[in-house]
Amino acid sequence: MQKAYKFSILYFLLFSLMLLASSILIFNEKIGFSVQSVLEYYQGNEDKFITAKSTSGILKIILPHIFVFGLFIMVILHFKVFTKSRNSQVFHFIIYGAFILGLLELFTPLLIIQGFVFFAYVKIAVFFLFEFLMLYVFWILFKSIVYD
Amino acid sequence: MRFTLIKDLKQDKSMRPIVSGLLIFTLLYLAVDILVKSNSFGLFNSTIKLTLFGDEEQFIEPLSQASFLEFIHTEIFFIMMILLTLSAVYARVSHKKSFSLWIINAVLLNSLVSLIALAFSYYSSPLLINLYVVTFFFWHILAFYMATCSLWSLNFAKSI
Repeated sequence: MQKAYKFSILYFLLFSLMLLASSILIFNEKIGFSVQSVLEYYQGNEDKFITAKSTSGILKIILPHIFVFGLFIMVILHFKVFTKSRNSQVFHFIIYGAFILGLLELFTPLLIIQGFVFFAYVKIAVFFLFEFLMLYVFWILFKSIVYD
Repeated sequence: MRFTLIKDLKQDKSMRPIVSGLLIFTLLYLAVDILVKSNSFGLFNSTIKLTLFGDEEQFIEPLSQASFLEFIHTEIFFIMMILLTLSAVYARVSHKKSFSLWIINAVLLNSLVSLIALAFSYYSSPLLINLYVVTFFFWHILAFYMATCSLWSLNFAKSI
């Protein structure tokens, strides 16, 4: 691989880390990491004057994210062609895992506003699983670019 | 990124206009980004300070943390995608490989520093706004140069 591409990918990984960090900060600031706060954010709370989110409101938020999640996962994972583990079973698991987690992350709010409390747990779990999975992918890419 | 695999981009009748179109859109993005920021967020120290921290005398509200985080989150995504694509094209069509490596490093490092400086200027020291302004303009100028050079190499230079 050309040195220029290696540098570009390394910087891309740094940007991706910042993107993940900012997403954690936004989640913490706007929603919160407790089940109660997730339920309040989506289902509302009259005592705290928090209005419930509507389906159209959630769709407006997830619309750009659907494209962005797909693009981001594709770009990050397609760099795997530069790694030794490109044909491994683990990487296939990561590919399917990333897209499924992304899908759940985007669409669980629609189930939460329907009254399914269980999906508040799913929302938080999936958020962290997705972040950790991406961190693991960054690490694999970083290792293969720097050491291989 | 198929253009990274084609031997002579200039001779490829379909890839050359496609990549040229992408570069023209990149140039437009860079220009419009500056225009939009000058009308909304601010381009220089005083206007950015006003946007971030507000002004009681002028009854201007400071930017909320949620709005700031959303702004920087979007910026990170757009910058990383634009510069990754532009770097890939520039690395492919540039004649001077060592020089192009410097340029790619400079543009990516400056854009990274600009985002970090903006975050720190909001959360800790407004003095870092100056660093944000300098690196913001620097990466825009470098990206503009990369896109123009790539366009030139694709359409007017003898061989790639």
